[in-house]
Amino acid sequence: MNDWMRKVFESKRAARQQLRALSFSEKVKLLEKLRDRSLAIARSPLRVRQHQKI
Amino acid sequence: MKGTLEVINEMQAEGVIGQYAIGGAVGATFYLEPSATLDIDIFVTLENPQGSSLVTLAPVYDYLRSRGFKTEKEHVIIEGWPVQFLPAAGALEEEALEQAVETEVEGVRTRVMTGEHLVAIALRTGRAKDFARILQFVESGILDAARLDSILKRHGLVEKWEQFEVKFLRGNE
Repeated sequence: MNDWMRKVFESKRAARQQLRALSFSEKVKLLEKLRDRSLAIARSPLRVRQHQKI
Repeated sequence: MKGTLEVINEMQAEGVIGQYAIGGAVGATFYLEPSATLDIDIFVTLENPQGSSLVTLAPVYDYLRSRGFKTEKEHVIIEGWPVQFLPAAGALEEEALEQAVETEVEGVRTRVMTGEHLVAIALRTGRAKDFARILQFVESGILDAARLDSILKRHGLVEKWEQFEVKFLRGNE
């Protein structure tokens, strides 16, 4: 693994640790945002068209 | 989700459900970084109907429908969140409910399964997303190894854990 990759992994690990350290209430707010976005993506016409092709 | 939990607490106060605890992806979020999920898994203890040895969720659905909440397949939409009620049908779930952790979401009290019980249930369920969640737990380093070990032994999951280790963990050593 080169230095650049190592830095990327370290930064990801640090970001995940920060998220883990949030309170449950704060995490639940993020869950709600993630859910809203997942639903918006699922409803997107592009996604629907793609799904119909399959 | 605050409103959802308030309704579930009311159900408990009115005796519609017994003890409850959040499991699944939302339960895991108590310990880990949040990851996208579309529903909430609520494990509950239920009273058997008189003269029956079968546990039924019918009273739960009837109560919620009478309060105007809609159902979608196996979910009930409570204050915007699809909720799946899962009866604690086996010894593992019963233990997970007993030992769940008390917490709060925006001032509303609730209970979440321990990380070790969430891992044991995910291991037994065994879908790809369950294994991914177990890996998140392992990587986070928050599991109590002795506690997990005793749960796996008590509920006959040691062999499954060994298979999981071979497949997903030993390659990283």
